[in-house]
Amino acid sequence: MIALILALLSGVVGGLVVAFLPQTKRGLRNFIVLFFCTCGMIFSWGVALKVFAGESVRLASEFGGLTFSLDPDPLGMVFGLIASTLWLITAIYSFGYMDGKHKQRTYYIFFLISLSMTLGIAYSGNLVALYLFYELLTFATYPMVIQERSPKALKAGEKYILYSLAGAGAILIAIVITYVYAGKLDFASGPILAGSLGSGLGWLLLLFISGFGVKAAIMPLHRWLPAAMVAPTPVSALLHAVAVVYSGIYGILRVVYSVFGHALVRQLGINALFLWVAGFTILLGVIIAARQDVLKKRLAYQTISHLSYILLGALTLQPWGLAGAIMHMICYPTSKIVLFFCAGIISEQTGETRISRMGGIGWLLPKTMIAFSIATLGMIGMLPLNTFWGKYYLMRGSVAEGRWPLALVLIGSGIINAVCFIPIIVDAFKGERTRANIEQGKRVVFMLVPVFLLAAVSLITGLFPGIVWPFVQAVVNYFF
Amino acid sequence: MLLIIILAVPLIGAFALLLMRSLKINISSITSAIVLVLGGIGVKSVFEEGPISFRIPLFGPFTPTFYADHLSIIFVMLAAFLWFVVSIYNQEYLKHEDGSLGFEFCTLLTITAVLGIFLAGDLITMLLFFELMTITSFFWVIHKWNKEAIRAGYFYLFFSIVGGFFLAFGIVLMGAATDVLPAIGTGFITALDFRMFAFSIILFVVGFGIKAGMVPLHLWLPHAHSVAPTPGSALLSGLLIKVGAYGLIRVGEFVGWGMESRDGIAWLGPCLASLGTITMLVGVAAALLQSDAKRLLAYHSISQMGYIILGLGLGLYLGSNGGLALLGAIYHVINHALFKTALFLGVGIIYIQTKETNLYNLGGLWRHFPMTAVFMFIAVLGITGAPGLNGYASKTMLHHAVSLAAETGTTWVVWVERVFLLVGVGTAASFTKLYYLMFFGKPSKIRTFDKVSPRLLVPMSLLIVVMVGFGLAPKVFPTYAVIPAAKALGMGNAASNMNSLSFWELGNVLGMLITLVLGTFVCYGGIKSRAFHWCPPVWLTLEGLGKLVALKIVTLFRMGEELLQLVTRFFHNLGKAMRTHMISDFSKFDKNRSGTIGRFKLTGISADAALLIMVLVFLIVWYTIQNPELPQVLNI
Repeated sequence: MIALILALLSGVVGGLVVAFLPQTKRGLRNFIVLFFCTCGMIFSWGVALKVFAGESVRLASEFGGLTFSLDPDPLGMVFGLIASTLWLITAIYSFGYMDGKHKQRTYYIFFLISLSMTLGIAYSGNLVALYLFYELLTFATYPMVIQERSPKALKAGEKYILYSLAGAGAILIAIVITYVYAGKLDFASGPILAGSLGSGLGWLLLLFISGFGVKAAIMPLHRWLPAAMVAPTPVSALLHAVAVVYSGIYGILRVVYSVFGHALVRQLGINALFLWVAGFTILLGVIIAARQDVLKKRLAYQTISHLSYILLGALTLQPWGLAGAIMHMICYPTSKIVLFFCAGIISEQTGETRISRMGGIGWLLPKTMIAFSIATLGMIGMLPLNTFWGKYYLMRGSVAEGRWPLALVLIGSGIINAVCFIPIIVDAFKGERTRANIEQGKRVVFMLVPVFLLAAVSLITGLFPGIVWPFVQAVVNYFF
Repeated sequence: MLLIIILAVPLIGAFALLLMRSLKINISSITSAIVLVLGGIGVKSVFEEGPISFRIPLFGPFTPTFYADHLSIIFVMLAAFLWFVVSIYNQEYLKHEDGSLGFEFCTLLTITAVLGIFLAGDLITMLLFFELMTITSFFWVIHKWNKEAIRAGYFYLFFSIVGGFFLAFGIVLMGAATDVLPAIGTGFITALDFRMFAFSIILFVVGFGIKAGMVPLHLWLPHAHSVAPTPGSALLSGLLIKVGAYGLIRVGEFVGWGMESRDGIAWLGPCLASLGTITMLVGVAAALLQSDAKRLLAYHSISQMGYIILGLGLGLYLGSNGGLALLGAIYHVINHALFKTALFLGVGIIYIQTKETNLYNLGGLWRHFPMTAVFMFIAVLGITGAPGLNGYASKTMLHHAVSLAAETGTTWVVWVERVFLLVGVGTAASFTKLYYLMFFGKPSKIRTFDKVSPRLLVPMSLLIVVMVGFGLAPKVFPTYAVIPAAKALGMGNAASNMNSLSFWELGNVLGMLITLVLGTFVCYGGIKSRAFHWCPPVWLTLEGLGKLVALKIVTLFRMGEELLQLVTRFFHNLGKAMRTHMISDFSKFDKNRSGTIGRFKLTGISADAALLIMVLVFLIVWYTIQNPELPQVLNI
């Protein structure tokens, strides 16, 4: 339990410490950020070990008749681990990227606070805690979205807040209705609505998924995500490719498996609708991505597409499908964050943001583009990278549910991903080979180390998926 | 353990190459020689004791498994031999190309991947090495980095990625059909869900067919093989497409060699045979129209792979009598690898000196390249199936298998036999054209050429020696190598099927000689009448059709996109209109804490409160209607 409290506090305390630090003490501030991110990671691994061992790590308090509880189960533990580990890696990248920019202190304050909020979502034990941290996450990440304070950034922030609050409103209504139906809101004692019968349950599921779907960027609720790409690259990489959107996806997983339970959802017969939506998002996301010229926008639409892989896996209601969803949840950030980080390195070192002008850039930034190539193979879902395993189990889940066209959707998405990104790489290495290598300087080292670390992880877990398999198994065994 | 060492050697060689590039030793040749020796040990072990199997016991969904039975080890030896030959050739050839270090590095990695495929023990291990092979051989194709090479590279990469996806889907369905993924070499599968098993077989055939150059999935092959540097083309044509054939043989093993195909999968044999026939025909027809030497050879690769696929199809179709067909197919894999590599190496020698591969710009070269001309002539005899060389042996076997099937009298098999003979004539014609235009004919440019380095000729001579050896003693290799392999695959009657075949029977020899002579006449007629210069209209070629369809799809997408933009703009405008109207109404409220909506006048309450109250009232009313027992639940 101590580990749980400390994991949640490390972000907030870190944020407060940084807030009181003078702006000039950059080295000290970086060290403090690193320290608190590492603490967050270590403590979340501590929580994970306890959950693995089967101990219950629970923290509950009551106020005003409402219970607020933190109770990590395998799904929460997996999300917490993904979030805290990637937060540390993004922190290292931020040291390189944000070097020399304005308003670094504000950035790091909310960077750390968002870590706590995400862990709060991950470790929430009932819908009240989940909703509370969910709303707080929106507010904690808003200052990072508007970091540049340009008119475009402010407009993007406005869009972000409007979409998120609308979604949260829908979730709140749905939570109230759930309480009325079932009388309880916590996850640990089995699916909340299990055994309920009622005509409105299908609509309730729709309401929940629409609410969480805003953050999870399901089409047509996705429009805040490409706009939010105006944020600095580490924010786009971590938050809008992993943390914030994963909290939406996590919410959907919770709703389907902990609030309704897979048996009830199957009874309602409504999962076909969501599978259609997921398939539609997967294909349309990459198709729109192929038409973008700004690299970060292309990556944003690809994010939208890949998030629906997890939605697809969750809603096949099969153990294999859920395994694929969790596997994809774990593996996809290792490639996606690399792509975003490389886009950041390119824009920082050369000032290019448009793909049509990135010809020959491989000779200026060779290491970056090599990592980009490895991550592209990851996005396509090819062996020897780890995303293959997510895709493989998603296909197995689709076939087990009798919906083999979904497997074709996944294959099609892989091909279109290839069409999106392989030309970038080939164009990058065309042309004269004698241009100077500008990948030098301490800044670039800070930016490259996380990139290669994640690329290496994606290759190793691709060849030895047994490393992450226990986590996947734990989640699937918990729900099935 | 031996299997892992065989795989590790080229991998270590690749990294040694990067680290030790200052030393002038030919790491490629050394590593290939080591693999040859290890492969020899493997052959002895497998043929005497039985298949070797090796598992790396990892936790989780993936346990890398390696397996070598007779077929695998034969293919490994083939790969090692070809690699050895090409590595000697590379030493001299790559002096004329840039980026030789990258090329050698990719070659070693590709060889590792190919050996991995041949030694893979389960389907996922095979897929892993298949994908690795795709990535590393892509760099062969794109080596020159000019526009044509990049185009061919995209074609190659996308087709291979799609092939990999089809294989993955096939593995998924196979897993669904049989609950536990079958290991390679387990023989035929009795599946729990036969429909799913049949679908997975279709997917495997498509996936491996893309690699093998089966029509209509062959579109990448001519571009990729002609645009790569010559040793790359030689290995692409000689080795990588054999991976497709290997995969098809293993897939056939799941269906069952040497037994009557069960209902539900009985279509596979005729289907493969027909596809093989079409491939043979399309390949040869296109080859006749080519003017570039390397593209001509690439189309012939397609055509000869058609022979192999035909043999595999007939082997499945004829069940227990299919021994001859299967033997012929496997034998032809080996033979084709030998003579196609020799042909490419020869073309490469000419290319280094003349920088020209267009046949109509070459001519009269026999004076300047006498040894090359002799070696190429023997290779041409091999591929056309002249008696006395290895091509004759495998083509005769396949011909007898076709005749055996044609005895049943089914229409399509009779046509297969006719096409078989036609393609034989076409092959002879096409190679007569190649040889004549290259080495005889009017010399268009008279230059003095450097003497050809022996390092370029020794590899060809090695291949020629093996080819002639196989040709003069056609029964030796099948008896000692191919028949045990076929038996291990399940074809029990293989030995007895071959006993009835006599290679030197007059009928066979005469038939082949007539084919060759006819071919020469066709070539003469073709060149004189300029028929070989005919350019087919766009819609007749498969590639043109593909392009037209792709363009139509793109147009459809553009229309869909415009429609979507229209819809989004409509909603956007609607939202904006609503907002401007509502804001003006609300601001009226805000200013004097009272206002008018339509005919209703609200005073003393602010607009937002009014709105909230309306929404709350609506929700309460709606919910009470839905759940009449609500007041009791909220019993306070």
